[in-house]
Amino acid sequence: MARETVRPTVTEYIRRLKNKLMFIEAKNLVFSYKEDAPPVIDGMELKIEKGTFTAIIGHNGSGKSTLAKLLCGLLIPTGGSVTVDGMPTNDEKMQYDIRKKCGMVFQNPDNQIVASVVEEDVAFAPENLGVPPAEIRHRVNSVLKAVGMEEYAKHSTYKLSGGQKQRVAIAGILAMEPECIFFDEATAMLDPAGQRDIIASMKMLNREKAMTVVAITHHMNEAVEADRVIVLNHGKIYADGTPLQVFSDVENILRAKLSVPQVTELFYMLENNGCRCGTDVLHTMEAAERIEKLFK
Amino acid sequence: MIKDITIGQFFPGDTLLHRTDPRFKIIILITFLTSVLAAKSTVAFMAVLCSTLILLVLSEINLRILLKSVKPLLFILIFTAVINLFFVKGESMLLHWHFIKIYKEGIVNAVMMVLRLVCLVVGTSVLLSYTTSPLDMTDGLERVLSPLKYIKVPVHEFSMMMTIALRFIPTLVEETDKIISAQKARGVSFDTGGLLKRVRALIPILIPLFYSAIRRAYELAEAMECRLYRGGEGRTRMKVPHVKGSDYIFLFVMLAVCVGIFLLNSYEVPFI
Ligand SMILES: Nc1ncnc2c1ncn2[C@@H]1O[C@H](COP(=O)(O)OP(=O)(O)OP(=O)(O)O)[C@@H](O)[C@H]1O
Ligand SMILES: [Mg+2]
Repeated sequence: MARETVRPTVTEYIRRLKNKLMFIEAKNLVFSYKEDAPPVIDGMELKIEKGTFTAIIGHNGSGKSTLAKLLCGLLIPTGGSVTVDGMPTNDEKMQYDIRKKCGMVFQNPDNQIVASVVEEDVAFAPENLGVPPAEIRHRVNSVLKAVGMEEYAKHSTYKLSGGQKQRVAIAGILAMEPECIFFDEATAMLDPAGQRDIIASMKMLNREKAMTVVAITHHMNEAVEADRVIVLNHGKIYADGTPLQVFSDVENILRAKLSVPQVTELFYMLENNGCRCGTDVLHTMEAAERIEKLFK
Repeated sequence: MIKDITIGQFFPGDTLLHRTDPRFKIIILITFLTSVLAAKSTVAFMAVLCSTLILLVLSEINLRILLKSVKPLLFILIFTAVINLFFVKGESMLLHWHFIKIYKEGIVNAVMMVLRLVCLVVGTSVLLSYTTSPLDMTDGLERVLSPLKYIKVPVHEFSMMMTIALRFIPTLVEETDKIISAQKARGVSFDTGGLLKRVRALIPILIPLFYSAIRRAYELAEAMECRLYRGGEGRTRMKVPHVKGSDYIFLFVMLAVCVGIFLLNSYEVPFI
């Protein structure tokens, strides 16, 4: 009898399941670097589901890096709360477990490389975790291969180019095997081919390894690849949705001092000049098809 | 210009000295230095010279590079030689001119002192700095010193500091070069004027350098935390040193040489 009453309804059950899958949750998040300074993050509600690929965009100084550090527990919120997989980041005892789950590739690769030899640096995180030596060796080799740096395993980190350092930094985090990775403008120093490679590996991690990926970027063609785009402006969420929803509202994006993907901009201009073609286009091939149709 | 500074001049190679376990090399080096300092008689000294030569041949290090490492010591060498030459008194005087008296013992002493210093420097370079990568060296030091952990010596922290220093020295050197160029472009001159003026000209280099070093340190600490660093406890290493038979043989030979030199100390070459 009593059992009957506590059994959840189907909708309730789905809600619970969804909550369980919610990986990172920020409630009324406020953060400022100094007490009297205006907050960098100003009252933010955010949920990131497990296994999703999210892109964060926003102009310089809009608080993207700060938000990422808050979400993976490197910074402690001054107001509100952040929980990672149910663990609040302001709980000192949970911090190590949170860091194990969330890796972060920082903006400046120079200051996140610890050792002077590539493979030693990649091995740093698993060494800290206490992984057995043979397993570390295996991880290092496979991760270096994944970022295309296996020939450089024995090279000195100091002599690498900026893009190569960035790849080593990414490998260093991958070797940790976290559940979630934040990429803070990880492709900023890469050439177009390198950028494509890294985006492809982000997608691969997301699809095949079911890893939660959060990519901060200034490249709109990178943001387009995500499942969800969050636009930050003055420490607040300015827009949030699928890439199509976010970018097709071109005027809104331009108002936040950002740009939209080139093809979307093209269609926006066409639309403004009286061509009824819509602005909900993100990829070049789609655009080509749409234009072809227009001319028929 | 600053780029020419090399720290930990390691010459990669694949000789016996390169292959020997760094921990063993440190102990072998200590044994070797002990025998160099212990050799008193001329016979023992000959043995020291021979073993240094053998090490030198084993390392396959270019002689010109080796001379470079001895060069900074030239002043000390000459100074030692002169002091020994003029101030050691003995029985057989070879030269007496005004107040200068040179004895045979003085010459022998001077030569021995100079050679002893050269042996010390060559031995250390050949055994350790030229044939061990800096990383292996810090690693080896950490392992050799690890028993000190039990008396609360922060061995791991020390070796981590060395690793990071080695990693950042080239970066900071490059940065210094950049700052110097930037300040020169703004018209700061570093090589004119008196001493005080030149020292003052360094301020616009040092302040940005310190600022950036501190910022780097802050970011590095954040990145290390993110990569789960929390000190030496529970940490494993990717490279597990495996001790080879040749390591033991090398160490054993060196210990034998050391004992031999102590024994040879009671023999003198008859004619010197
Ligand atoms: N360590 C810090 N101490 C004080 N203020 C900081 C610190 N880091 C960032 N800020 C300030 O916080 C604000 C947001 O910085 P943040 O680095 O998060 O921006 P961002 O969106 O990542 O910018 P970018 O696109 O340039 O990387 C900026 O106004 C910056 O000046
Ligand atoms: Mg940033």
